[in-house]
Amino acid sequence: MVDLLQVSGLTKRFGGLVAVNNVSFTVREKEILAVIGPNGAGKSTLFKLIASFLRPTSGEVLFKGERISDLAPHIAARKGIVRTFQETTIFKNMSVRENVIIAHHLRSKANLLGFFLGTKLAKADEQAFGTSADEILEFLGLSAISSEIAKNLPHGHLRALGIAIGLATNPTILLLDEPFAGMNHDETMKAVAMVRRLRERGLTVLLVEHDMPAVMKISDRIVVINFGEKIAEGTPAEIQSNAKVIEAYLGSEDEAIGL
Amino acid sequence: MEQVIANGLYLGAQYALIALGLTLIFALMNVLNFAHGQMYVLGGFITYTVYGQLGLPFVVALLASGMTLAVIGALMEKYLFRTVIKRSHREESTMLLAAATAFFFDAVILLIFGEKQRGVPKIVKGVFNTDGLIMPYDRIAVGALAIVFIAAFILYMQYSRPGRAMRALAQDRVAAQLMGVAVERYSMIGFAMGAMLAGIVGGLLVTITGVNSGIGGPISIKAFMMVMIGGAGVVGGAIAGGFILGMMESVGLTVLREYGDVTYLVIFAALMVFLSIRPNGLMGKPWG
Amino acid sequence: MTRVAKAASISAFLAVVFILVPVLIIATGRTDLYYTLTSVALLSIASAGVWLTFFIGRINIGQGAYALMGGYVSAILVVNYGVSFWLTLPLAGLFCAAASILIGYPILRLRGVYFAMVTLVLTEVARLLALALPITNGAKGMVSIPLPGALSIFGVTIIPNFAGMQSPRLAFYLLAVTMMVLCFAAMYRLVNSRIGKLCQSLQQNEELASSIGVNIAYLRVIAYAISSFFGGVAGAIFAAISQSIYPSSFTVTDSINFMLNCFFGGLGYVFGPMLGTLVLYFGWDLLFQTGKFQLLIYSTLMIVLMLFLPNGLLSLGDLLRKRGSNNG
Repeated sequence: MVDLLQVSGLTKRFGGLVAVNNVSFTVREKEILAVIGPNGAGKSTLFKLIASFLRPTSGEVLFKGERISDLAPHIAARKGIVRTFQETTIFKNMSVRENVIIAHHLRSKANLLGFFLGTKLAKADEQAFGTSADEILEFLGLSAISSEIAKNLPHGHLRALGIAIGLATNPTILLLDEPFAGMNHDETMKAVAMVRRLRERGLTVLLVEHDMPAVMKISDRIVVINFGEKIAEGTPAEIQSNAKVIEAYLGSEDEAIGL
Repeated sequence: MEQVIANGLYLGAQYALIALGLTLIFALMNVLNFAHGQMYVLGGFITYTVYGQLGLPFVVALLASGMTLAVIGALMEKYLFRTVIKRSHREESTMLLAAATAFFFDAVILLIFGEKQRGVPKIVKGVFNTDGLIMPYDRIAVGALAIVFIAAFILYMQYSRPGRAMRALAQDRVAAQLMGVAVERYSMIGFAMGAMLAGIVGGLLVTITGVNSGIGGPISIKAFMMVMIGGAGVVGGAIAGGFILGMMESVGLTVLREYGDVTYLVIFAALMVFLSIRPNGLMGKPWG
Repeated sequence: MTRVAKAASISAFLAVVFILVPVLIIATGRTDLYYTLTSVALLSIASAGVWLTFFIGRINIGQGAYALMGGYVSAILVVNYGVSFWLTLPLAGLFCAAASILIGYPILRLRGVYFAMVTLVLTEVARLLALALPITNGAKGMVSIPLPGALSIFGVTIIPNFAGMQSPRLAFYLLAVTMMVLCFAAMYRLVNSRIGKLCQSLQQNEELASSIGVNIAYLRVIAYAISSFFGGVAGAIFAAISQSIYPSSFTVTDSINFMLNCFFGGLGYVFGPMLGTLVLYFGWDLLFQTGKFQLLIYSTLMIVLMLFLPNGLLSLGDLLRKRGSNNG
């Protein structure tokens, strides 16, 4: 397997606080890699650094060997590294289908002027986006609610819509921000199955998560961070028996971790 | 030099008090109160009537200004802003309402008090005069009163029950509601307090600069600027913004006197550059 | 709306503004109405620009600055350099668009009230600059600007010389209305194309928009530049009509009015700014007869309307439709 994403020596300071300290790991093509850690471990900062939503203080992220750390988020997305958000981040006054169609932006062949004038290319784009959006909605089981206004959706559907938006950009690697947060057992199982199917579609998935049992079930490899530093990396089995990890989780007042 | 600083401090104290009221309303309701300057003018005219015309003590007049505006503010929140916020698709719609109320106050003030510049007798006579520093006593008194009001406001927000509730509300409206804060009640109290502060400054300043019906708009703009410098919705920011603008005006009017309006051109341009670099002002949170 | 209904309502609208209104005005002899309607048309162009910035989620109280800028650019070119008015018209728009790109790039990062306030300050900066700069002739302004000359391309006269006309008022009316129609047609197309959706995506969530690959800084600047272009064109025609421009020709009050026109017509409707401008301008004019109560009645009506139709006049249609479908 090929290394798709290399995180090397990534560090982020906010004033005197070191949120992420010298973290390095790699993500291989078509794997599901999870970053876990107790609350406040620096997961979400790390996530934003990888997605180019934050600039690192030092260190870098390489995607296919190219440095992407100082790029604007939309350029990173153009290169194929796309993030999802937690559920409230959607285009809330658009319908589900419109949300997914607009997210096809990167696939458009026509430019803004073309869309304004309604050129052939632009019309072909519109057509293609519609077809592709329907396919994505079908894939994620959202077809039945495609004309609902997004802000009226229940929680579970919002999460799926977030992933649908991510898929529409046609990413190489999809970064999922806590995809199982706030879900009950059944919902989590469904979401786990969905993430697996993403990989079957040929995607590489990096997820930042809290829910240990789900992560154990789904990941090929796991990176554990605590206090901004990487403390372990390995397969779920290796992580489960790692003394440092157990200590980190027991030491924190976190919820049951399923070890 | 001392003169410039003293003038700046005196102006700054007044400005800070105006900005505090504006920022309070913004923090609680996310409403940009276009009518703030008009509230100030109304406060000025009430003190003019009670103290200047009826000859009652200045303290009574100041109280009347504050209380009248507090009542007006409470009514505005309850019958206008609350309704519009509830019914409108976009939060910004309150700006039309705020602008309309500003016009309304302008019209009322013009009808009742006319367009003449009005002044009142000095509250304290005499001038403080040492080497290089001249300051009329009434300015010192008004400046000191303003600082007392600022201190009282801060203490009230910090330690009183309504103050704490309003701070919770400003931080997170939904969370405050879940914690059992009576959101509507405290929004109304906050709006009333913001309006009251505007009225009090109007009452204070009428004794120095007088008042006329046309200055509401310009005062609002100055108040907006102070709030932006400091950061919208933050008490410390409003105070800092007030003093900074006061100082800048004082320095600018001395240094750039012969160029007339250039003072404001420089201040405005500097402000635009500053905000481009620090989009949330000195202490503001994103989105205010 | 079906295609036929759409075509019919567009033709009806065009027939009214280009034929019916002039015919009625000539029949009744109320030529003063030309000036009013010309103003409405021009102000609605400037307001349309403000509406467009609302559409990307920014409250713009700085359109007065661009109207002023456009007016001065046209006036200076015509008076000092003898350029034809017809050439200065697009130049004024482009100048404003270029200026707005320079100004907009840093300030469009601001949101909410911060952007609103900075643009308000921008209006003041423009006025103070017009007072201070040598080329704008200070407080005295630029006066006796010649009327637009003839426009001919390849020897064919397309627009006759305004100065030689019996009724330049009608000519100005037609010019303003034509520009208004073009402006709103462009806006309509923009909003209903994919660009409109992209703009909406900015309005609803900029972070998400950038995560799906939208260059938000670029799109914001483009929308703002178009908005300012409208402001500049409106200002340039205004200067030509009044044959003068002063630092006080467009002030903070005008900037606020442009914004109010948008709110009043309805932020959710492309034609909101047009209707808003028409009603507010005519309303104010009609209330002139009430003398000193003019402002009081005007503001009271505004507050009342705001209470009942907080989403603008055009939301009335939606309300009625909803009621109709509920009953039916």
